[in-house]
Amino acid sequence: MKVLVVDDFATMRKIIKNVLKQIDIESVTEAENGKQALEILKNEKFDLIISDWIMPEMTGIEFLKACKGDENIKKIPFIMVTAEAQKSSVIEAIKSGADNYIVKPFTPEKLKEAIEKAKVKVMQGFGG
Amino acid sequence: MDVKYMNPFIIATQVVFKTMLGIDVKMGRPELKKTRQTNGDVTGIMGLAGDQRGTLCISFRKEGALHIYNTLMGDGCNEINEDVIDAIGELTNIISGQARKEFEKSNINLKAAIPMVVVGKDVEMNFITTLPIVSLPFYFSVNGGNEEVMYLDFSFEA
Repeated sequence: MKVLVVDDFATMRKIIKNVLKQIDIESVTEAENGKQALEILKNEKFDLIISDWIMPEMTGIEFLKACKGDENIKKIPFIMVTAEAQKSSVIEAIKSGADNYIVKPFTPEKLKEAIEKAKVKVMQGFGG
Repeated sequence: MDVKYMNPFIIATQVVFKTMLGIDVKMGRPELKKTRQTNGDVTGIMGLAGDQRGTLCISFRKEGALHIYNTLMGDGCNEINEDVIDAIGELTNIISGQARKEFEKSNINLKAAIPMVVVGKDVEMNFITTLPIVSLPFYFSVNGGNEEVMYLDFSFEA
């Protein structure tokens, strides 16, 4: 399973990578913002995208909308992991096509659970 | 300062420290900040906008910042470096997010900017409001039982 982790903070990318490692996912590519992530997605295939919301250059929600509007990548499960905890933010992300929404701070178990659900989706053939 | 502005930051700090770091913080006496300078050696600063405009800062002494970073990452870092600065920036972001969730319960909707981190004590900060700045100290134990403090400073427009 190949995962693209998008967050402007290296700390959070490392935390997410550590959680992924705990569930035997070692193939992880990092991007610092949505714009960089879209460039990576042009050349590589992924089974899962985990993205922050508030980032410079291109925000997570803009990135999510771009992904869901692209035939080649719209089926890749998209988990938003963000500090944006307000109800209005959760609703906006889900309406924009996020498959799951995790609010920081999160426990590793919470993220693992979301990834496991996404893995099932990938195995059922809904991945990109 | 109306307590409705203080409580979201208190709840957010307690939740974030407990969930991310497994640390119970003890809040000290809130004070009005007499200067506009950083309290500690590493300070995360974030502007807030929306229904109200304001500024949020969290500040740690070197030992406190290192303890936070090492606890979060399972590391043994003993100098303030880019990784520690990054971690304090992300912590500012997450505390702000939790606080904004609490503000939403009082029908105050706030948006946050990307935080910046200042390294150095007594550095002048640019609070975007002219109202008094409230400073909330949060105490926590570090290795060997020493006590460290995180100052959370905030101010809103009238």
